[in-house]
Amino acid sequence: MRKLLLFFCIVVWLASCSTIDCPLLSTISVQYVIRDKAGKALTLTDSLTIISIQKSGEIVVLNRLSGKSEFSLPASYSHPEDVLFFRFKDKDTTVVDTVWMKKDDIPHFESVDCNASFFHEITDVQYTRHAIDSLILLNRSVTYDQKTIHFRLVPKSSD
Amino acid sequence: MTRRPSISVSFRRVAISLLLLMSAASASAQWKFFTLQKDSIPLFRGFAVSFDLVGVAMMQLSDHGEYEGAFRVNIHDEWFPIVEIGYGKANHETDEVTKISYQTQAPYFRIGIDKNLLRDKHGPYRLYGGLRYAFTSYKVDMDCKDLVDPYWKWDTPYAVKDEPCNYHWLEVVLGVDAKIFGPLHLGWSLRYKRRIAHKDGIMGRTWYVPGFGLDDDNRVGGTFNVIIDI
Repeated sequence: MRKLLLFFCIVVWLASCSTIDCPLLSTISVQYVIRDKAGKALTLTDSLTIISIQKSGEIVVLNRLSGKSEFSLPASYSHPEDVLFFRFKDKDTTVVDTVWMKKDDIPHFESVDCNASFFHEITDVQYTRHAIDSLILLNRSVTYDQKTIHFRLVPKSSD
Repeated sequence: MTRRPSISVSFRRVAISLLLLMSAASASAQWKFFTLQKDSIPLFRGFAVSFDLVGVAMMQLSDHGEYEGAFRVNIHDEWFPIVEIGYGKANHETDEVTKISYQTQAPYFRIGIDKNLLRDKHGPYRLYGGLRYAFTSYKVDMDCKDLVDPYWKWDTPYAVKDEPCNYHWLEVVLGVDAKIFGPLHLGWSLRYKRRIAHKDGIMGRTWYVPGFGLDDDNRVGGTFNVIIDI
């Protein structure tokens, strides 16, 4: 009986240990891929800068991306619509398109030990078509999953 | 993101486990297990009520805990059908680091059966093995003060109010019970808990589940019971 009691005490002591189980990859971002009209990966030759408007003025959310065929952007925590200015720049010209991304923001919780975050459900996207041929919504749900592609960006062929 | 198995997967796991358990023992062994020992002691041996002190201690020493009582039927000192009813509560006030506060309180219920595993069934000591099905339905209040969007710098309200959640789980119980004097017994139990179905609300996860405890990777719990035969 004494051995049994000792066994119980050890197991209860082990059970009293707690763990902090926060996700290692806690970035929540919207994933874009750049494709041509045929759907093939397209490497951006222009420089792409993406700007939004924040409390005190402009904010650069992507700075001078070039030579890439994919990128990710943050989404605002709790704003029904993110307005993004896509600035395509080559040697001579700069072309700006505006993208309006509407979304629902969902408070996400892991534990009281982990920082608060928001998941998002993209509900609509509108855009101007100066340099963008099309911006296709592939997946609406924005979570910790960095492998899910949300948008396929097809620039006009000259870009 | 922490991926969780779906409800159907959980049910399938439980069903497969039970089938394996059943097929592992031969038919005759099963009958022996369920047969009562033949002696002159009557079949019905009374009732017992019990109260758990571990949950109460946790309630006093931490920000969560339970008040729990149980009602048990004694069949021939061998089988003990049991109902456990409790009230679990968590009040995590604003966390110093994450600024998150979390409140919930709700009753929970368990139903199951214990078997006295000792050879001497009618002695002053008992060693139990048992199984429980447990359920709770609860609401969560949660908020995070002064949350600022890291890019856009807007103040961001982050709050969930009265979010309905529920939780179903199984517990495998191993316990001891010793007669102290008269109708008074004291006993320990260890419990291995396994969730079988759950609804976590819009926030995707809950922190404390009444009766289950913290919803983390730790699946072992325990009770210290004061038991009175009636």
